[in-house]
Amino acid sequence: MNKSALIIEDDEDLANIFAEALRGIGFEVENVLDGKAARERLIHGATPFLILLDMHLPHVSGKELLLNVMKKDARFNTSWIMITTADARLAEELRDQVDFAMIKPILFGQLRDLAARLKPKDEI
Amino acid sequence: MKNFIERLFTFSTSDPEDTRKRRLLGILLAGTAGASLFGVLLFIYFAATVDPAEFYLLLWGSALTFMLVAIVYAVNHFGSRQAATVLFLVFLYIIFIFSDTPDQIVGGRTLFAFTIPIFMASILLTPASSFIFAGISGAVIFYLALSLGVTPNLPGIAGFFLIAFVSWLSARSLEQALSELRSINLNLDRVVAERTEALAESLAREKIEAGRNQAILNSIADGVIVFDKKWNATMANPAIKSMLDIPLQLIINKNFRELVEHPRLAPNSRAILGSMIEHGTQPIGFRVEWGDKTLSVSAAQVYDQRREDTGTVIVFRDFTREAEVERLKSTFVGIVSHELRTPLNAILGYAEMFKEAVYGPVNEKQVNMADRIMKNTQRLLALINDLLDQAQMEAGKLTISSQTIKPAELLETMHSLMDKPAADKNLKLTSEIEDDFPETLVGDPARLQQILVNLVGNSIKFTHRGFVHVKLLRQDERWGIEVTDSGQGIPAFEIPHIFETFRQVDGAATREHGGFGLGLSIVKQLVGLMNGEIGVTSQLGEGSVFLIRLPLTIPKESPTAWRSHE
Repeated sequence: MNKSALIIEDDEDLANIFAEALRGIGFEVENVLDGKAARERLIHGATPFLILLDMHLPHVSGKELLLNVMKKDARFNTSWIMITTADARLAEELRDQVDFAMIKPILFGQLRDLAARLKPKDEI
Repeated sequence: MKNFIERLFTFSTSDPEDTRKRRLLGILLAGTAGASLFGVLLFIYFAATVDPAEFYLLLWGSALTFMLVAIVYAVNHFGSRQAATVLFLVFLYIIFIFSDTPDQIVGGRTLFAFTIPIFMASILLTPASSFIFAGISGAVIFYLALSLGVTPNLPGIAGFFLIAFVSWLSARSLEQALSELRSINLNLDRVVAERTEALAESLAREKIEAGRNQAILNSIADGVIVFDKKWNATMANPAIKSMLDIPLQLIINKNFRELVEHPRLAPNSRAILGSMIEHGTQPIGFRVEWGDKTLSVSAAQVYDQRREDTGTVIVFRDFTREAEVERLKSTFVGIVSHELRTPLNAILGYAEMFKEAVYGPVNEKQVNMADRIMKNTQRLLALINDLLDQAQMEAGKLTISSQTIKPAELLETMHSLMDKPAADKNLKLTSEIEDDFPETLVGDPARLQQILVNLVGNSIKFTHRGFVHVKLLRQDERWGIEVTDSGQGIPAFEIPHIFETFRQVDGAATREHGGFGLGLSIVKQLVGLMNGEIGVTSQLGEGSVFLIRLPLTIPKESPTAWRSHE
């Protein structure tokens, strides 16, 4: 069975590029384009293997999703990749909450190579 | 009575020595008159046993003495002191001659009375005049001896000259001592006068200064409060009243702690100001929130002229507008960062996908074209990154973290990023680490990497053939990054300006090499934030050497601790 990835990114182009990078290495990809929908999806949907989370989202910020939604739902056995722009302070602040922090621009190959190395958390 | 006696012996002349001698003569005259009066009273008391003829003679003698004393006093007071003294001494001689029998004068009990004028002459006239009066005394004794037909008392006469000599020595020493004393007094008077004048001037100046300071304090827009050593407010200007919106009475003579406890001060600001009181720190330009205002607070210790701490002056500046602008600027930087990077990331991503043939096969030309799109997009991103870094540094938002880093990894990453650009220009990019260099040290890995990449990128940009060499070295308590290139070099007159923002060596170079000229400026600012320094030496046509020196801190914990985040 293929590994699943949830991409929470409001920019369609970037979401598409990230999706193609992950599909290329066999991920089943689901895109969510705003924070509110992402919260619903995280609370009620199936647990994905990987979540790609943009910090700048409409309605509900990536930080809010990371700090509140993730912690409340203990089901998650997910690898989190945080995506930020130049806000190094935010990246530093939330670094311990995620598995990886990537700062834009994120290269197609870079994301693909990183995701390819990911293993289920219970195997680590 | 006291005043009368004082006036009797007061002589005002311009020469203090003359005054002294007149006063002395006056006292002697008074003594003579007193002695004479005492004699008369004694005779009156014993009148029954005394011969009446002798009694009347004594009365006449006393009357004559009073008259002569009065004349000498008048001459001394209104005329010549010397004349009065000579008159007095002559008068003494007359008294001594007629006060005893000639044979007693020549060789008996009265002989030594003739030493008195000698001694007095030395102190009332001049020291040397004692010899003249010794001669006069001797002549009188000699004459009387001859008149009596006896041998003159030559040892007695010689004794007069001996006394004259001793008197001369004593009087001269006394006059010299008095003269020196007067000179010292004069100097002292002058010094006292000068000091008094200086003190008066200083007081006047201080008064003017205090007035001026008060005027300055009153006129400046910043709020100022001056505290004593116990943090009691001793002075405040009107601006602070409107700034804090509380009456001056609630500030002056109140302790700073009362102000710190004021409900309008935000809790975190209270902690900052409280810490200032507790630890005596003197922060400059830190922000506190007072109601809906943001205030910038600077403190400085006040010292007196002896460099002793007398308290603290705190200056409050209304920073509300600037804080709002800063917040907007920060927001703007965030938005620009996000809004520019996101589409550029998309361009980069699509170009990479195109190159990687994600949607089907592409030919070599198409791959080459995708490469160019990626390269130019990355260049654009680098420029945006530089601009954002610059904006962050100007806003004071850029912070330096402290983590354990491996210098070798810095070089590895640098190579992974810069080997290709160097190879594209046929340049040899090499690096080395000095033998005694620590394996791990404390620093900000991302910013150090940025410094390294910017410096190497700059060298590659301005080197057309040859090499770029990076060396990590240790210098005492510091460590250094040295980047050497065989590039075109920098003209000496340009060196002081190469770290300036938006600066590149001449306009032509700017057009040739592109970029905003922010790379070296950012490097310098980052190095400054790390408490380091940067320098450059260059030879035109031969190359340049950039040397960065940073404080060396060796980590205590395991050097691999930070790697767990990766």
